[in-house]
Amino acid sequence: MSGLISRNLKMYFNDRSGIFFSLMGAMISFVLYLAFLSQNMITSWSKVPDTKLLLDPWLIGGTLTITAITTTLSSLSLMVKDRESHVLADINLTDISYVGIQFAYIVTSVFIGVIMQLIMYFIMGIYFMIVDNSSLDLTIFPQVFGISILSSFTWTIFNLLLLSFVKKVDTLGKISSIIGTASGFFAGVYMPIGTLPTTMQNLMKYTPAPYNSAMYRNILMNAQLNKSFNKLPVSVLSKFKEVMGISISWNGALTFQQDLLIFISFALVISICVFLISRISRRLVLSKV
Amino acid sequence: MKLLQATSLTKKFQNKIAVDNINLTINKGDFVVFLGPNGAGKSTTINMLTGIIQPTSGQIEFDEKTTINREYRNKIGVVFQSSVLDANLSVKDNIMTRAKMYNKPTQIQLLINKFNLESIWKQKYGSLSGGQRRRVDIARALVNNPELLFLDEPSTGLDIQTRTAIWDVLNQLRHDTGLTIILTTHYLEEAQTADYVYIIDQGKIIAEDTVSKLQKQYTKNILTLYYQNGESKELTVNDKNQAIKILSDNSQAISDFEYRPGTMNDVFMNLTGKEIR
Repeated sequence: MSGLISRNLKMYFNDRSGIFFSLMGAMISFVLYLAFLSQNMITSWSKVPDTKLLLDPWLIGGTLTITAITTTLSSLSLMVKDRESHVLADINLTDISYVGIQFAYIVTSVFIGVIMQLIMYFIMGIYFMIVDNSSLDLTIFPQVFGISILSSFTWTIFNLLLLSFVKKVDTLGKISSIIGTASGFFAGVYMPIGTLPTTMQNLMKYTPAPYNSAMYRNILMNAQLNKSFNKLPVSVLSKFKEVMGISISWNGALTFQQDLLIFISFALVISICVFLISRISRRLVLSKV
Repeated sequence: MKLLQATSLTKKFQNKIAVDNINLTINKGDFVVFLGPNGAGKSTTINMLTGIIQPTSGQIEFDEKTTINREYRNKIGVVFQSSVLDANLSVKDNIMTRAKMYNKPTQIQLLINKFNLESIWKQKYGSLSGGQRRRVDIARALVNNPELLFLDEPSTGLDIQTRTAIWDVLNQLRHDTGLTIILTTHYLEEAQTADYVYIIDQGKIIAEDTVSKLQKQYTKNILTLYYQNGESKELTVNDKNQAIKILSDNSQAISDFEYRPGTMNDVFMNLTGKEIR
């Protein structure tokens, strides 16, 4: 199986334009933020001191969620391409079992998701360090690393479910563009979740995306939140957290642990779905090779 | 010795019958050709024999194992009609990652030497010429040291030198290792050197035998006489003795002659009433 994993990794990292496009969603959010989103938000939270230092890690948190979604999708796309070009038929002749083949694509995708999230984290962190004098706090790195693994895994499983029945590369392209665009909204980056209509907010809460962003933001913004809000009433802090999607509210704001629990539950439920349909999708996939 | 046997193999796609009740026996060490026009059902047959698709009905047995068995797959190598290697990766990466997907040890160096891969080893597969790619494809199919090699139209679109070069290596491999080869092709000249030929048309085997027997059964030898006065005459003759007799009877009248035994093309023409391509 290591053969297939290393082949899949080489396929991803050898394809420069593929990497670029898999980061497109993340880059769009970054650029939009620099262009005007940050200014809008600074204006609306003008009473909070050091808003910029607060919003930089806020953006990083959301963008890392987008990165996890789009890079794992891009990595798993290889699976669909391999089906269509009969590569799967060839690999199926080797000693790797069908489950092993699936597993190899998952491992590759989780790995790529983590690497790309970390790369994006450092790129944005260093950018803001230079431009806004934000501090890149390395003591929180273990937590960031942990969340990146968890989110990479969850989105890999999510995308696997999505791609289970996709047979054509053509369909794949369409799905990628939809996911790429939607991820920015669902992660609450293009617009803070609290500024959206209630229906939209509820819809978002039924996906893992806002919890992922919330977990990241909790970790990344913690220090600055304490600093900026130490002289302001707690109600302003909770309002800020709720509107900006740092804590998701389900009849009251969720804690980090609750976000984590919900996020893991999503992963479990999706895993069960993937497992249940794997027999059907296997037959479908193998009948096409 | 019997290596592979298929009985009453049938494959239906929706309402089209691609392969209709065919029986095959492949002997160890043989070079077997499935000959037929495009769309005859050759690839479908190969796909069933390699376990890529399952037959609608019928059995395939290889050393008493079925195609679903992993050991079965371990004994075969397949060169697919379209390339299945990664254009973005180097030849080395392509071959080495595939080699790692097998549990048993592989003989990469031997393949590098045999197929002359040294000079293109570090090049990207996508940058190679058609002939070079085919060499890599075949090397990939042989990575697991198979007993039986399937080649699905491997030489389509290749020039004659490349085709000859590839066949030289394959023949040498057969000689050295006793490799059994099943080839599908619509090149009649490739069928000419086969040990056994199955002629497939519209999903059915319309004839099967050794090349010489097929030619004997379905073709006549053709003797063309060119007369001094510029006229010519084509005669069908049974054997060389009859030809020699005709020639000596006419030795004064003719300026030249041509003697051509029946070819696989004639076999195909006589069986189906059409040219193979």
